[in-house]
Amino acid sequence: MKNYQLGEFEEIVLLTVGILNNEAYSVAIKDEIESRLKRTVSMGALHTALIRLEDKGYLKSFSGESTEDRAGRPRRYFEITALGKKAMLYAKETREQLWKAIPKAVLEVSLQKLAVGSHQ
Amino acid sequence: MKSKKYNPPQLALRFFRWYCNPRLQDYIEGDLVEVYERRLKTSGKRLADFRFALDVLLLCRPGIIGNKKSNYSSNHIDMFRNNFKIALRNLWKNKPSTVINVLGLTTGITACLLIALFIQHELSFDQFQSKGNRIARVVMEYGFEGSTETHKGTFTSTKVAPVLSRTFPEVEKGVRMTDADAILYLNNEPVTEPNFMYADSSFFNTFNYEMLQGNAAVALNGPKKIVLTESMAAKYFGSENIIGKTLEVGTNKTPFEVTGVIKDYPKNSQLQFDFLASFSSMGQNQEETYFNANYTTYLLLSDENAFAPLLEKLDPFMEKEMAGTGATIRFHLEKFNEVHLYSPYTAFSSNTSITYLLLLGGVALLIIIIVCSTYVNLSTAKSIERAKEVGVRKVSGAARNQLFWQFIGEAFVVCCLSVLVSFCTASLLLPQFNSFVSRNFLVTDLLSPSFLLITVCLTVLISLAAGSYPALILSGMQPARILKGLFKNSSSARRLQQSLVVFQFSITVFLIVCTVIIRNQLNYIQNKNLGYDRTHVLTMFIGWGTDSKQIETFKSELKKHAQIKEVARCASTPVSINGGYSMRLPSMPETEVIGVFANPVDEDFVAASGLQLIAGEDFSEADMRGVEIEDEKQRRYQFILNESAARQLGFTPEEAIGRELILNSAGTIKGIVQDFNFQSVHNAIKPIVLFTAPWGGRMIVKISGDDITGTIAYTEQQWKKFIPNRPFEYSFLDETYARMYKTETQLGNVMSLFSATAITLACLGLFGLSSYMMQQRMKEIGIRKVLGATLMNLIGILSGNFIMLVVIAIVIASPVAYLLMKNWLSEFAYHTDIEWWIFAVAAMAIISITVITVSIHGFRAMAENPVKSLRSE
Repeated sequence: MKNYQLGEFEEIVLLTVGILNNEAYSVAIKDEIESRLKRTVSMGALHTALIRLEDKGYLKSFSGESTEDRAGRPRRYFEITALGKKAMLYAKETREQLWKAIPKAVLEVSLQKLAVGSHQ
Repeated sequence: MKSKKYNPPQLALRFFRWYCNPRLQDYIEGDLVEVYERRLKTSGKRLADFRFALDVLLLCRPGIIGNKKSNYSSNHIDMFRNNFKIALRNLWKNKPSTVINVLGLTTGITACLLIALFIQHELSFDQFQSKGNRIARVVMEYGFEGSTETHKGTFTSTKVAPVLSRTFPEVEKGVRMTDADAILYLNNEPVTEPNFMYADSSFFNTFNYEMLQGNAAVALNGPKKIVLTESMAAKYFGSENIIGKTLEVGTNKTPFEVTGVIKDYPKNSQLQFDFLASFSSMGQNQEETYFNANYTTYLLLSDENAFAPLLEKLDPFMEKEMAGTGATIRFHLEKFNEVHLYSPYTAFSSNTSITYLLLLGGVALLIIIIVCSTYVNLSTAKSIERAKEVGVRKVSGAARNQLFWQFIGEAFVVCCLSVLVSFCTASLLLPQFNSFVSRNFLVTDLLSPSFLLITVCLTVLISLAAGSYPALILSGMQPARILKGLFKNSSSARRLQQSLVVFQFSITVFLIVCTVIIRNQLNYIQNKNLGYDRTHVLTMFIGWGTDSKQIETFKSELKKHAQIKEVARCASTPVSINGGYSMRLPSMPETEVIGVFANPVDEDFVAASGLQLIAGEDFSEADMRGVEIEDEKQRRYQFILNESAARQLGFTPEEAIGRELILNSAGTIKGIVQDFNFQSVHNAIKPIVLFTAPWGGRMIVKISGDDITGTIAYTEQQWKKFIPNRPFEYSFLDETYARMYKTETQLGNVMSLFSATAITLACLGLFGLSSYMMQQRMKEIGIRKVLGATLMNLIGILSGNFIMLVVIAIVIASPVAYLLMKNWLSEFAYHTDIEWWIFAVAAMAIISITVITVSIHGFRAMAENPVKSLRSE
């Protein structure tokens, strides 16, 4: 069984690349995460994550056209590799397995607690 | 690249480019710019700038930082070889500019080399003494009760060394020394040896000198022992083993036993001696008093930290010793290693103050800066010619830093060439330099390893300082623009060039003004009427207390010669009289005395030295007889005062005649002479008394000035007859006078040399710059010519800009020079004034030099057919 290493932020980035499909480059990814998850993403963190994902082989990149609003610099587009897809699935499955393993009572109790809390 | 109204903060961008991995740089920079532009629209420039900088900072993390190394590596050795070849070809191709550059650099580097040589020599003083860090030189400070005035110096009595080494455990050894001239006999001819020193037997325990012959431990034990240096041994004996031989010393030919020969020691030593005789030979071993302080004492301490504890104990000890004597004596200790640079007191060799060295270092630095700015001006001027090369190289893939180092390398080649030439010039100039600074440097000193190291550092430093700006300019050019033929230097480059010109010319003006003022003052000193006659006056040292009858006959023999006008015997020549006495009138209480200078003279002194009597009469022969009486009580002294002395006593010149005066002994005032400068013109004229005495050690001979050699030969012949046991040595009074202002003359010489260097360099810089400007304005000149401008018009237009720069330089430099020189002149009691014409002359000189330099190119531009420059386009 292969061990797929994927950090929390890395997973988000990987998922967002998937969402953007073919349009995934750094600024777009950043905007997407910021709008969907309401959290700010620093350029540094994003690029580090992208580089690490590429090093792990989950993403591959290619250079796009250069545009004027980027002072002539090309965009770098990202694409999920087969390995990346496997890693995403693996992460999702492990989460689900874990979710399933939680006894129902635990979740209910906490819901009850929440309900109690709201009554007060 | 449209809408380039707003740029992201350049500093942050540059920082980012510096650290970012080149593989990622383009993409990330694109992101940064994109986000920046967006923010610019939404939240304004300031916030966008801030966020941009923040992003750059946050990007600075391990994954993104990467080394600059490009993926391929070029063959550096081949590249270097190629660059070197290109550099040489370029230098060869542009011979005139190479010559100017090398000339400029050579002038500056030669000056720096010589200054560095001097500084290095001075800093290395006494370094060869291995125990130097625990040797102390004793400085005595004494004063008398009831007066706050104290005197300080390296004089100590014979008592100091033995008492201190007995009393204090910190003192391991004490060495007493004194130096003197001694007359020795070489092939039975008397020779004065100036470096004859007496020292205690502990000398060789304290200082290290290598003994070639003899035993250092016992060499100076006992009286009449002498140690010679190797070269003196060769001079006087020549043979191999000279231990046990005798050397006759002094006019009475005292035999000294040679007990050792030491190896010649380095010149950079505060102890200067050729002969070392045992201290006991002088018969001055008694330890009676702390006064009679005629000797220098060195102490060898137990360790280098013993200075402070010993000093603490010295003061209470001396208070106890001097209790009840009515005098106070304190001793201070100077560290042996610091004496040469920090001590104000001279014992055996003159010191060089550290401030003087710093000043010289500053001068050297200034020269380097001038040299570098000349190079910068010249090579930025030349950069047009190299622009195409840079363009082609860049297109073929040269990185900016490769080009940068290429141009630095070129500067280095020029620098090396100049250093080689400088070494030749420096060794040629060495004799003159030696006489400037009164040192004795050899060509081999220039080639010592440590000095070569300094030179290498200097070369690298100058190449970097001079080469980096042109290299930056050249390597930063944009290939597309160069190759299109659009090329102009940036305004910052022009500003830099202009400020360099102003800077260079300020220094030049400053130096010219200073030089003129110093020369003026030296001239004034040389030609000042001092109140006595110093042309064609010989002085000779005849020895103290030589039998007066014998000298009388000698004098009358000399006077028989037609060319010899006057002969007088005195203690000091009128050039420098420093003997301090005290005088009082019989009416004054005994405790009240007036300090005065005095000079023992004979009856011919006033005539021989050309002093002007304004009242009373000159001494007569009878007056001289009056002081030659055996019984001291019977002697009658006669005095001649100067005006100041009479005034000090409260008399007009006429009133003073015939009055009684007590100057050690009682006597009568016989005459008054006009005030004369009997000391350096640094000092105002003070009261002086001339008194009759037959024992003066000097003779002054006034000769007519015709047939000087014959007169001197005659004098020597007579000398041999009457004073056979002394070598015949003479000097002219005006030379002695000039020697008194050696420091000032040296300063004048150095300043002249330095200003010549600065002028040369400034002109070279200007020359380069104007040629550059001319190239830029070729078309303009062409059009002007076509429209009928005359040569003068054009020169006016072309030099106008430079003249403005020079005027700015004059305005900056003049007040600085004025203040500094005013300060310098105020050290002289008699000095010239700083007149406005000095500044006018300096300004005129500089402006005309500027116009001439600029015109050289102007003429060339004029001579060219305007068709040539206007043809293109």
